[in-house]
Formats: sequence, C-alpha cells, structure tokens
Amino acid sequence: MRECLSIHIGQAGIQIGDTCWELYCLEHGIQPNGIVLDSQQDQLENAKMEHTNTSFDTFFCETRAGKHVPRALFVDLEPTVIDGIRTGQHRSLFHPEQLLSGKEDAASNYARGRYSVGSEVIDLVLERTRKLAKQCGGLQGFLIFRSFGGGTGSGFTSLLMERLTGEYSRKTKLEFSVYPAPRISTAVVEPYNSVLTTHSTTEHMDCTFTVDNEAVYDICHRKLGVECPSYASINRLMVQVVSSITASLRFEGPLNVDLIEFQTNLVPYPRIHFPMTAFAPIVSAEKAYHEQFSVSDITTACFESSNQLVKCDPRLGKYMACCLLYRGDVVPKEVNAAIAATKSGHSVQFVDWCPTGFKVGINNRPPTVMPGGDLAKVHRSVCMLSNTTAIVEAWARLDHKFDLMYAKRAFLHWYLREGMEEAEFLEAREDLAALERDYEEVGQSF
Amino acid sequence: MSDTLTADVIGQRVEVNGEHATVRFAGVVPPVAGPWLGVEWDNPERGKHDGSHEGTVYFQCRHPTGGSFIRPNKVNFGTDFLTAIKNRYVLEDGPEEDRKEQIVTIGNKPVETIGFDSIMKQQSQLSKLQEVSLRNCAVSCAGEKGGVAEGCPNIRKVDLSKNLLSSWDEVIHIADQLRHLEVLNVSENKLKFPSGSVLTGTLSALKVLVLNQTGITWAEVLRCAMGCPGLEELYLESNNIFISERPTDVLQTVKLLDLSSNQLIDENQLYLIAHLPRLEQLILSDIGISSLHFPDAGIGCKTSLFPSLKYLVVNDNQISQWSFFNELDKLPSLRALSCLRNPLTKEDKEAETARLLIIASIGQLKTLNKCEILPEERRRAELDYRKAFGNEWKQAGGHKDPDKNRLSEEFLTAHPRYQFLCLSTCVYTGGLQVVHFQLEQSFFLEYGAPEEWELKTQQPLMLKNQLLTLKIKYPHQLDQKVLEKQLPGSMTIQKVKGLLSRLLKVPVSDLLLSYESPQKPGVEIELENDLKSLQFYSVENGDCLLVRW
Repeated sequence: MRECLSIHIGQAGIQIGDTCWELYCLEHGIQPNGIVLDSQQDQLENAKMEHTNTSFDTFFCETRAGKHVPRALFVDLEPTVIDGIRTGQHRSLFHPEQLLSGKEDAASNYARGRYSVGSEVIDLVLERTRKLAKQCGGLQGFLIFRSFGGGTGSGFTSLLMERLTGEYSRKTKLEFSVYPAPRISTAVVEPYNSVLTTHSTTEHMDCTFTVDNEAVYDICHRKLGVECPSYASINRLMVQVVSSITASLRFEGPLNVDLIEFQTNLVPYPRIHFPMTAFAPIVSAEKAYHEQFSVSDITTACFESSNQLVKCDPRLGKYMACCLLYRGDVVPKEVNAAIAATKSGHSVQFVDWCPTGFKVGINNRPPTVMPGGDLAKVHRSVCMLSNTTAIVEAWARLDHKFDLMYAKRAFLHWYLREGMEEAEFLEAREDLAALERDYEEVGQSF
Repeated sequence: MSDTLTADVIGQRVEVNGEHATVRFAGVVPPVAGPWLGVEWDNPERGKHDGSHEGTVYFQCRHPTGGSFIRPNKVNFGTDFLTAIKNRYVLEDGPEEDRKEQIVTIGNKPVETIGFDSIMKQQSQLSKLQEVSLRNCAVSCAGEKGGVAEGCPNIRKVDLSKNLLSSWDEVIHIADQLRHLEVLNVSENKLKFPSGSVLTGTLSALKVLVLNQTGITWAEVLRCAMGCPGLEELYLESNNIFISERPTDVLQTVKLLDLSSNQLIDENQLYLIAHLPRLEQLILSDIGISSLHFPDAGIGCKTSLFPSLKYLVVNDNQISQWSFFNELDKLPSLRALSCLRNPLTKEDKEAETARLLIIASIGQLKTLNKCEILPEERRRAELDYRKAFGNEWKQAGGHKDPDKNRLSEEFLTAHPRYQFLCLSTCVYTGGLQVVHFQLEQSFFLEYGAPEEWELKTQQPLMLKNQLLTLKIKYPHQLDQKVLEKQLPGSMTIQKVKGLLSRLLKVPVSDLLLSYESPQKPGVEIELENDLKSLQFYSVENGDCLLVRW
C-alpha cells in the first residue's frame, strides 16, 4: 500500500534518477540485478531481522522471482541518455518497458517538448504509467524529477502533468526540479523554458523541491574539495537530499509520513509550494572522523546559507513552515535541545498567521554514502525543508533574465516556429509576476 | 563514582564543568584541611599553577597554569559504558506531566514532534542497537564484567570520542565484549597505552580504528594494532606522530591510513610504511611535506614502494616543485590524487595550467582533485606539455631522428615522460624502443617529436614584430641595388606596387611582382592578385621580392 511512482524526465531527471536508484539499492541492500543480498544483514543475537518487505514496497515491486523492480519510469525524447542506462550498471534492475525514449529530441525548446515532439510520445508514456499504477495496491502519488531549463524537462513535463491531473486527479504530485544556474548552463533559453514550464505546472503540482545547480556546485567546490564539479558529483549530493525526504516512505519507522502529510504541512496556499532545501553535515571524504557533528551542530548548520541547495537568503524573508528530517543516530532529547538553541541563536522569523512552527521527525537508518563518492560517512544527518518567502529571490532572478531576452524578442522564433504564440509568453510572465506578488503578500504582517 | 581517595585514582580522567583533566595527585594540601585532588587540565590555561603550592611540589604539570587543586566532590569521574548507553538511549520512566513540559517553543510557536515516543521505545531496546554514539558522555570504564556483552551485544559501531577513558586496557575491556564490533572511535581521549606487549584481548571483527588526537606514539600504534588482526582503516590525525619503525607483523591488512596533521612526519619516515602490502589510500594532508623520492626507481621506471597505493591525498602541504609529480609517476598503482592548497597550485589563474601539467606528468592518473580525467583532457594536457617544453628539449639535445636524439641527463630528470610523449610510430613499429615503459592503454600515443612551427613562441604584439623584412631584387635590371625594406604583412599587393612605382619611377600597371623564399630555392611564386595581402601569399620574413617591368 501507499506506493509511489517516480517519473524521470529529460537528461537531468534521468541522470538524477540513475544515481537515486543506485543509492536506494545501497540503502536497501539490493544488488544491481534486483535481488536482495540477505547475507548483508548478519543474524543478530537474540533479535530478528529488522528488514521487512513492507518498508521498500512503496518504491520497489517484487516479482515472483524475488527480483525487486523499481516503480519508476524514465522518459526522454532522444535516446542517448537512456541508452546510458540500458547499457549501464543497472540495466538489469529496470524492465525495458520502463525506459522510454523518442527519436528526435526537444533541442532545449519548451515548444518542441510540449507541442510537436512531445505529443508523439505522450500516449505511450501514459499507457506505461497506467500499467505501473495497476501494479500498485494503493498508489499514493507521483514523484517527478526534471530540470526547468531543458526542452524535455520543461515542455514534456507540462504536457504530462496536464494529462496526469486529468487521469489521476486525487493523487499527490511532488517534484524535484533543477533550477538553472548560469555557471553550468547549457542553453541560453533556459529562462524562457523555466518561466513557461512554471506557469503550466504550478496548478498541477502539489509541492516542488527546487535545487539550484549553482548552490550545489559551490558546495562541491568549497566544502568537498572537488576542483571542477561534474554532474556526477552534483547529482550524488542532490540524491542524498532526495533520499532523506523519501526515507520515511521507504523504511518502517515512527515517522511514516504520507506524501499528503508533506503537502499539508509545508504548503499553506496552493501556489506557495516551493520549499527550500538544506542539508547537513557536508563533509569531504578525506576528512572523515576529523570532526564530529553532534545533533546541535548539524541543526545549526542547516540555517547557514552554505548548506542550502538554493541560493537565497532566508534572513531576508519569513518562514511559513519548516520540516527537519533527521537520519541516523539521533536521540529525541538532543533534538529538543538543539532546536531550543536554534531559537536563541538565529533570527528565525515566522509569519504571524501560521499556527505550527516546526515539524521534526527521526529515522533511525543511518545515511549511506555511495562508494567512490565525495561525501564522508557520518553517523547522523539532517535535511531541512522550509517554506520561506525568501525563495522569491530565485524567481525574481529568473524573471529578470526572461525580461531581458523577451524585450528584444530574442530567440523567440524557435518557439513560434513550433506553433506557440507570443500570448503564451506574456501569460506565463504575468503568472510569475503574480507569484512574486503572492509571496510578498503572504509575508506581510497584518 | 564515589569520592574515596585511593591510590588508583591517580591517572584517571575526570570532567569538571565541561573541562577535561587528568588526576595527578590525591591527598592533603596543608594548611587547608580535607582531601584534595590535584588535576592537570587538558586546556593549559585553565589552571592556577603548575602543581606546586606554597613552595611544595605536589605534582608536575607541563604548563605553568596547567594545574589546580579541587575538592573530590566537585569532580565527575564518569560512568560506565552501559550506564552511559542507558542515559542516552533509554526512555526515562517519569510521570506523564514531566514529558508534557518538554514541549519546546520557537518564537511563540510550539514544536511538533512526530513519533518521538515510538523512537524512544525502539532505542530502549538496547539489544537491537547496532550503531551507538557516546561522544562526550563521560564514559570512564567498562563497568561490571560481562555487563556490556549481556546488555547490548549487537553493537557494530561505537563512537567513544571525547570521554573519560584513561587507558587502552579500559577500551579493550569494553570492546572485547562486543563480538561484532567493526568500527571503534576513541578520538580525543588521553589514553595510557600499554608499554609492554601485553594483549588483553583480540578484536577480531574490528575493521576501522579511529585514534585521532589521542597523543598516541607510533610504537603504541603498532602494539595496539597487534590486537586487531583484520584492521582495514586506521585514522591517526593530529597525534604528533613520528614514524619510528617499520611494521612487520602488524598493519598488513590496512587499506586506508590517515596521518593528517602530524607535522613531525617527513618523507624519510614514509619509507617505513612503504611496504604495507594492502595500503590503497594514504592521507597525508597538512603534514608539511614538500618532496617525495623513490630512489629505487630510475627515470621512467616504477618503484617497488607502496605497491598497492591507489589514492594519495596531499592537500595543504608545502609542495612547490614540479619534480614532486614526476616522482609520483613512479608509483605503480596510483590512480587518484588530491593536492589542493599547495604553494605550487595555489594561484587561481594558474590552476588550469597546473592541472594540465600534473595530468601530463603522471601517466596513469585517472582522477585529480576528485575530478575524473577524461581522455580528451589527458590528450590536451599531454600535447600542451609537449609544446611547452619543446624548446628546452631541443636545447637539451632532442631531435626528431632517433639516431640523433641525445638528451641531457638534466632534461631527462626534469621531464621523464617527455620522450614517451614524442615516440613516433615508425620508431615503435620498427621494434626500437627508445625508453622502456609499461603501456596500459591498448592504443598507443604517438604525438611525434614537436615540429618547428609548434615551437615558435608568440612574439609580443608590437608593430616592429609584425613587419616583414624583405629583400627587393630586380632580375631584369641587374645594375639596380638590392633593397631591403620592412613591410607589414597585411599590406596589399597594390600598395606594394604603389610604393615600388614611386621608388623606381615606373608606372604601377607595368609592374609584375613575384617572390621567392630561401627555404625553397628556385621556386618563384607570382603575386598576381592586387587586392590580396602579402600574408595571403604566405610571404615571410627573409623572403625576396622580385620586380619586373
């Protein structure tokens, strides 16, 4: 029951997905061919195994042969990236029908992803989704992984979301999106794609966890000693956050949070559903055991801008909601102490109208690191999800870049050629301006 | 613990208001009555004196303000292991009201905690605990014999850092009872290590041992390691270690060794650990090293030291010579290197160049500073290296023709890989090998020796450097003198004709220009298109213009 379907769209979504499922397999002791390695869990003295099937049933489907198949769908409009998975380490983990690729890509063009090329693939994708959904006893919802700036990630996702809302109106839809960053930008038209896709998906999404490539790039470069962070390093870090967020869904634990509970707590208004993520501790592998991070250390670190995965300054805004998800060796006493200390140390300002402040949960399973990765293994970690008005800064930056290009109608013909109209651009821009105003209004005191 | 002062209280580790200290004296200090404990603080400035009071020396301290006298009842002698675990993990049996009062608030909002009750119940089942952290929990002893083995036998990982353990024997008392123990962290405890080879127990399952900041010496490390036959990872950061002897029967299974921040280590000591057969990862950050030598290997050969070393970390050191990386090329298994924040690689502008030079110097390197070296990057780096030192190579006796190639010893020492980068196919397929190398790749690099045109250095962009010095000859008028003129390469033929016409008093339309180059004698190239420039026709410095009319 309560299964979650992950849909990975576009190059970013697929590469993050690949790393993500690799991490999930490590955490659950599943080998690359889908079989659980029982001998990894040695027999405990006088205690039965903690490992029960229902814990990862939410994310993996068990076949009669004992193989665990991820409940995931990988979609791209061109085959190269998916071929990487078809021939990669995890090729035997996925069923071939879960890896869908088109022939002609979206060329970083929202219009192609949404209208021309996307429309050819959408029916197949929906059919496969239906098939996966049938395998679930009680589907909870969807987790979408994609980037804002790419053609498939922006355009095709908009199309898919519309159709999913039509077919599965009461299922939750959460997404993990990659916000475009100038330093690792691959396309000039990313602001166009981002604005257009935000406009179309906002009404269909329940909660969007944004991750800024630039923030993660900085973390890898400064804290982890990676000289030129590649997508692999960035994805490995992002995936730790994703794992923290989904940990309560995958492991039997006291905080068995439904996807609905995330929504209820973090999202005060339907449109204000962009929480900011932060993660601690971030320790380079060569510095393992040099420093110890207690619960209070990692809690304080969450409020520092260097641990955030989105570039914005929360001190300039107000918190509407905040979720702290601890993993590993964490004792409730220490959590209470840590939070009390935070209250005195930082300017954590809440809006007047919000009833509950913090929501805190613990999952005993310690954080896992990927072998060959940059992060050191730590005893405990925390992921903070906070809905703060300061995130409007990220939207403002994007809107500004959009305006600069749109004022000159630069690159517009690529979109018009595929059948889009200028009106859609204006509409999208208006929508984002309204979003900015909404955030402002929400942060105001009475 | 009680405050009875017996002789065995000396040497014990204690805690007073968060500060840790070692008991050095127990007894009476006249003129004040009553029992006193003399302690030496970990923090040398915390105390009031150095162990002497009113002229009498009661105990010794390393610092003049390192010691104090304290009443025994003010001192915390710590608890035993099992009690510490219970304190941290077990739900306290208090009445309901007490727990309700623990609701924390931030601002004026309550903090809602989910499932804490269930977590507390789960953690209370001590026998299920596998990973335990007792950092700074004032653990000083193992407690009653067998208590730990009975209470929490399944512990695999224990963090006992910053506690009050006073001796390695005490640590063994605890660890011995945990049959599945894989990871033991006793950092930041001032432990007394056994002086003889007295083993009180073998930790057969132990894989990871962390002894950072314990003040341990190398001899003590070896003695402790004797009790850990399967040890794979050993962390010895910040211990002022001086490697004094070669480990013969111990540490043979160790795969990772962390010796960061041990400033007394120098390169000669590293030879003593160079024969560990399984050592794959060596962390030498911040030890002040500036050079490394492997004297048993000649230029271009592989050393027998550090046979399995795959990953070397030398961040935050004093490396300032490129020869460091030439030495690293001798390591047979090295595949990854991290060398950030060294004087050689510090400048941000030159970071890119530094990276390329390091890649070119170490042939088998696959990862540098945690970034994978892709084949294109390696190719670029090696071509750059070959070009950058081409002139030096020539001056040192290098030549395309392998028979004429006689390089100076100096050049070979400074650039051991250069010859390898220059091997050309015809030499190789002929079976001749200039230098013997082990080739890992299935395809073969053949960049060939650097060509002349590659070695031309860029002249600075001044006008005088852009002018071509040309001779002007008049083949039909032999009595005219040969002129020499400096003309810019971008000058069009029309303008050249105009200049010559003024000089020779001949109309422009009558002039026919061509040029010949001393490099190709006898070949004359016509300059027939008036609108093209001298550069277009590849007229170069030293060429000769021929004018006919």
